[in-house]
Amino acid sequence: MDQLNAWFTQLLAGNAIFTANTLGFYWNGLVTTVQLVFLCLLLGIVLAVPLAIGRGSKRPWIKWPIYAYTYVFRGTPLLIQLYLVYYGVVFFNGIQDTIFWEVFKDAFYPALIAFTLNTAAYTTEIFRGAIKNTAKGEIEAARAYGMSKGLMMRRIILPSAFRRALPAYGNEVIFMLHASAVASVVTIMDLTGAAYYVYARFYAPFPAFIFVALIYLCLTFSIMFVFRQMEKRLLAHLRPRGA
Amino acid sequence: MATTPIPLEARDIKKRFGSHEVLKGLSLEAHKGDVITLIGASGSGKSTFLRCMNLLEQPDEGELIVHNEPIHFRPTKHGREPADWKQVERLRAKLSMVFQNFNLWSHMTLLENVIEAPVHVLKKPRKQAIDEARALLDRVGLLERADYYPTQMSGGQQQRGAIARALAMDPEVMLFDEPTSALDPELVGDVLKVMRGLADEGRTMILVTHEIAFARDVSSQVIYLHQGVIEESGTPAEVLDNPRSERLRQFLAPKH
Amino acid sequence: MIDLQGYGPRLLEGAMVTLELALLSLVLAVVLGLLTASAKLSRNRAIHAIGTLYTTLIRGVPDLVLMMLLFYGGQIGINMLTDQLYDAFDIDIFINVDAFIAGVITIGLIFGAYMGETFRGAFQSVEEGQMEAARAYGMSPWLAFRRVRFPLMMRHALPGIGNNWMVLLKTTALVSIIGLTDMVRVAAEATKATHEPFLFMLPVAGIYLLIASLSEWGFAKLSKRYSTGFGEASEWTN
Repeated sequence: MDQLNAWFTQLLAGNAIFTANTLGFYWNGLVTTVQLVFLCLLLGIVLAVPLAIGRGSKRPWIKWPIYAYTYVFRGTPLLIQLYLVYYGVVFFNGIQDTIFWEVFKDAFYPALIAFTLNTAAYTTEIFRGAIKNTAKGEIEAARAYGMSKGLMMRRIILPSAFRRALPAYGNEVIFMLHASAVASVVTIMDLTGAAYYVYARFYAPFPAFIFVALIYLCLTFSIMFVFRQMEKRLLAHLRPRGA
Repeated sequence: MATTPIPLEARDIKKRFGSHEVLKGLSLEAHKGDVITLIGASGSGKSTFLRCMNLLEQPDEGELIVHNEPIHFRPTKHGREPADWKQVERLRAKLSMVFQNFNLWSHMTLLENVIEAPVHVLKKPRKQAIDEARALLDRVGLLERADYYPTQMSGGQQQRGAIARALAMDPEVMLFDEPTSALDPELVGDVLKVMRGLADEGRTMILVTHEIAFARDVSSQVIYLHQGVIEESGTPAEVLDNPRSERLRQFLAPKH
Repeated sequence: MIDLQGYGPRLLEGAMVTLELALLSLVLAVVLGLLTASAKLSRNRAIHAIGTLYTTLIRGVPDLVLMMLLFYGGQIGINMLTDQLYDAFDIDIFINVDAFIAGVITIGLIFGAYMGETFRGAFQSVEEGQMEAARAYGMSPWLAFRRVRFPLMMRHALPGIGNNWMVLLKTTALVSIIGLTDMVRVAAEATKATHEPFLFMLPVAGIYLLIASLSEWGFAKLSKRYSTGFGEASEWTN
């Protein structure tokens, strides 16, 4: 351990780029990225559950607007959505004079809104697919046992749909982590923003970007690991006993 | 009036799918302790009739009376629909159905399946529901499978589990929709044994089945359906041993 | 008619850049994808490991980071290479990394990994019996691949290729960040100059939707063609 430590200190001492200062940038970037992604995913789920249920509604005035929303947000680049929200807010006449400016002058919130709308669209379709795939017989059994529509949704359809949606949702989480890199273009110092800063400051693209790539890799693998553990627990009912 | 209520009564039930009339005015009265068996070729309407009784299918005409309480309907553009879904839900809870394909909830263990409706529909205390569920699982011989998920059990085990789930509702009437048709032949016996036990203890049951020998043993009444009409009805001795129509004779003849 | 304040022609040019970039990247991605799939199905462990490393690394890192690494790093890498050439052989050349080519290479490289996964699954789903039959009728390996394995594989690969294409199309927007003048960059510049985000961003979003809808339609037709003899056309998945 001491040897490792000494080796590491020497490694750090030998280079001009990865000083405590720049490592601090990366750390702050990591915190920003994780906050941004975690919050948008959380808000995205909150929006997506009712939207996914509404998407399956028989009423056209509920079904079609939701479909239009998911189609547009899944069919256009996140970068455009980010620009629209960010510049839409920044260039909104007179916003600088209102109290909203306190909130929105920080690019974090426009980015959070854009990311939330984006991930909610994808998540809606993922949940929608999972809800649609609920076994008809299981719904029939719920009806036959006197469950109301709400109870059936809460106890039978959603719990089994969430489980089935888990692998696809895991991909969405990773997708969102990677997509969040565009936050750096609206002045947010996320992980990619920090890497770009280090690159520009030292004109050293390889160390700056490879280091950040490794951080993203670690995050990606951690997410994959967590989802695999969750699938093991929550999808136990799909596997034979003891397997 | 001090008469005991009739658990289930169906009067003149008619049902159309498009222009095709599948049930042409069927009636049935299930008194306490009755075991009524519906037999007939596929397409005779026997399953549809059973599914009309708890409104999984909507009968276009006719009356349904559960425990002396008639189900209310209101007219719509296309015919009619139940006027009060709360009433339907309440009455459905008195009629437990056992399905051909078991339809256990796949994301719940067997025990969770059995306590689900008692806890959330009947609002029983969870602790009490679990105790009762374990007793029922013991009865159908599945206590050691309580923590298994449906996909981890054989078809016969799933169906016995589904019967335990139905019993947990302490239903007025149990409806069986071809409960052994999806099972491998060697698994049928265990399920029939459980059902015979229920008949012996005086459960009110209505069942659709192809197991004629079993029907002869347990039924108080056998109804033979043909193209949506009751062709013959009576005790097993009357209907199964002395069929009047040529069609029923052919239906009962051993297949080669 | 909307007044694009003189940015109309530039937006149109940008749209052409987007389209060319997307199509060229797609070609590169398909080629790389086929190579990767072969590598991952290879019995040679070293080749298999290289294929796995490539797909894992690419799929674990954001597109934008890879793009910045290849674009900003590429220039320095090539400069270092030419410097060494100069030192060693006295050859003096200067290669300027073209943003468009860098974009094509980066996006092709990224989606080659995703295509690789698609093709691998598709290759594996072709029954061996079909290839045995081809061999039994005296087809050479190349002929058997071309006439039997490839068309059968395409049927399984098409939905995946379609999905990858849709994602790829949206990914092209990222090249605007590294300085390539696609339609997103034009719209961003126009927005900053005029303070009218909706005027420029919404039409650009509309063009993306248009291309996506047309592609969806096209892939549905293609998948119908490739699924002749397989009953119902497999449902479009996205």
